[in-house]
Amino acid sequence: MYLNIDSQKEMTYDAIVIGSGVSGGWAAKELTEKGLRVLMLEKGHKLEHVSGYENAMKDPWQTQYNGRLTMEQKETHPKLSRDYPYNEMTEKYWMNDSDSLYKEVKRFDWYRPNIVGGKSIMWGRQSYRLSDIDFEANLKDGVAVDWPIRYKDIAPWYSYVEKIAGISGEKLGLPQLPDSEFLPPMDMYCVEKEVRKRIEKNFPGRTMTIGRVANLSKPTTVQINNGRAACQFRNKCSLGCPFGAYFSTQSCTLPPAVKTGRLTLRPESVVTNLIYDENKKKATGVRVIDAVTLEEKIYNAGLIFVCGSALGTTAILLNSTSNRFPNGFGNDSGELGHNLMDHHFRVGASGTWEGDEDKYYFGRRANGIYIPRYRNIGNDKRDYLRGFGYQGGGSRSGWQRNVAELSFGADFKEELTKPGPWSMGLGGFGETLPYHENKMYLDFKEKDKWGMPLVVFDAELKENERKMRVDMGNDAAEMLEKAGVKNVKINDRGSWLGMAIHEMGTARMGRDPKTSVLNGNNQVHACKNVFVTDGACMTSASCVNPSLTYMALTARAADFAVKEKKKGNI
Amino acid sequence: MNRRDAIQQVALLLGTMISAPTMAGVLGQKTNLGESVLVSAEQEALLAEVADVIIPTTSTPGAKAAGVEKFIVRVMRDCYPKEDQEAFYTGLTKLNSESKSKFGKGFSELNGTQKIEMVKHTTSNDKPFFLRMKELTVTGYFTSEIGAKQALEYLPIPGRFEGCVPLKPGQKAWAL
Repeated sequence: MYLNIDSQKEMTYDAIVIGSGVSGGWAAKELTEKGLRVLMLEKGHKLEHVSGYENAMKDPWQTQYNGRLTMEQKETHPKLSRDYPYNEMTEKYWMNDSDSLYKEVKRFDWYRPNIVGGKSIMWGRQSYRLSDIDFEANLKDGVAVDWPIRYKDIAPWYSYVEKIAGISGEKLGLPQLPDSEFLPPMDMYCVEKEVRKRIEKNFPGRTMTIGRVANLSKPTTVQINNGRAACQFRNKCSLGCPFGAYFSTQSCTLPPAVKTGRLTLRPESVVTNLIYDENKKKATGVRVIDAVTLEEKIYNAGLIFVCGSALGTTAILLNSTSNRFPNGFGNDSGELGHNLMDHHFRVGASGTWEGDEDKYYFGRRANGIYIPRYRNIGNDKRDYLRGFGYQGGGSRSGWQRNVAELSFGADFKEELTKPGPWSMGLGGFGETLPYHENKMYLDFKEKDKWGMPLVVFDAELKENERKMRVDMGNDAAEMLEKAGVKNVKINDRGSWLGMAIHEMGTARMGRDPKTSVLNGNNQVHACKNVFVTDGACMTSASCVNPSLTYMALTARAADFAVKEKKKGNI
Repeated sequence: MNRRDAIQQVALLLGTMISAPTMAGVLGQKTNLGESVLVSAEQEALLAEVADVIIPTTSTPGAKAAGVEKFIVRVMRDCYPKEDQEAFYTGLTKLNSESKSKFGKGFSELNGTQKIEMVKHTTSNDKPFFLRMKELTVTGYFTSEIGAKQALEYLPIPGRFEGCVPLKPGQKAWAL
């Protein structure tokens, strides 16, 4: 074999990070800051901080369709257009359906970003800690396998990432929802303040707080020095924030990584597989297909962090076969691709609020309220396992409201220029159990344009989730009614896996290599120089939004990996 | 970075990046596969007249002044299937021909009272047309520069959030 030594050197790094989203960004930051030369590979295109957010500062009249999708977009994006995250303003941030080929034995909504920063640009920014109620749940319930870590293992790392990322919220001291290192909480609407009081009075053990959100309500010196400014309350976060006011790779983790001079970021790089050296018993690098030219490249490194978003990560691992790993990388347990989870949601209740006609608000809060889980905690016992939290909030309608259907003219116009009635709604986010039979796998006979075998999804919500959903609707209605909300209606718009974009599992952490893919440090049991720190690692789903946990686990794993590297263990 | 610096930096960065033609090209480059109903200049002018009855000039300019017909034509062309477009423009044509049979003049030539009478007629005679026309007019108007800034209160960068403040007498609804 002809070896171009210079080029070989150029293609060799201390570490490779696959993916540039929430987890990949943290991996790149932590590893470069600890002195490693890092190559970060991202399949999507470049998205420059601030100047790349083309729609972020547009006025409504500068859009074409006020956010609507065109017929062509609907026809060419039959899967993406199933729900709201794909719209006129975010079109460029998502992968085309024609590139994002996958198969559904059962319906699965796969939202795949196509940009540097990944979903850290469009995420909902809700940020909550898991608790020991979550970490102990599988063990206590006899479900799946036990988490190999407990809250005390991750708590300092939550604190570490929160102080950098910036999480705004209110301290509550709840065992099921540990407090973060908070920036000041955002304000509530009058209706929310009143509903909170009445819920707490009528339902001991339940509370309502303002959403805990990764927006800088009041930036610290660390955050200001990182080039970030306070939230301007425009509520346009998902377009990219020109003020760097919410956590994204671009606003928070990329600048310090770039500053070290040790980061190489290569967009439009589709990683197809890891390369395993049977003699060294280590991964030695990755194979990359250039997303545009389709040219093949091999990059080498002694340490690999796979952060390709849960399902992207597992697709790469399943496609990384060798003599040692005939069924996918690190897949001695056979669990790779299994235990696929997402939150189930789109069920709750809402109604109208009479009063407060003389009250209004100033600014647009990109956040709602949160009701922490209260089911199956303490003495509460339901006919299903686990629980749910609620997101939601009050609002005062504006011109969008439907006033007398057939009215028009001067009076109609004047009416719409005034604020309308208040309303209040709650929507549940429920935990989904890790079922072995809920899985993804590869169809090696069919490939996408980069030669990746197509992912096949075969996963569904089951009895436990269905029972929980009944509570999610009824409880919401009951709380709202007791709080004095009128015309309360339960809604259940149906939930399909993938839709909450909280994909988890498929390469779970565990104590035993025979039943899990990763150990308690997010390290592949069977190959110590490969780490997986995105949603794929989750052993159970909790009911809280998961991104903050990926941040903490990534920083923790990076710290462990560099220590191990220094000891010569990897 | 304080608030003023932050806004300035953003304006600078975006100002140099996004020129007017680029801005126009950023979105909406895709259209509905060429299978659209062709809309004549007369039809577009007629849309403006009908829209101006739904949202007339009062103490603030109305739908015609805001150029709502352009939004309606664009959204109908690109965001609706052809059969919906046909039904919509058939409704528009019908409104005009019924104006002629009732008043001997096309809709645009009617006086204010007659126009209102004709639009009222569509609410029972062709409700689907009326509701779609109304929805597009309302959206187009309140997201236009005139609608957002004059009929409503427009504040693109609030800079702070207060959830529970008194509504001032005569205060308009927020545009966003």
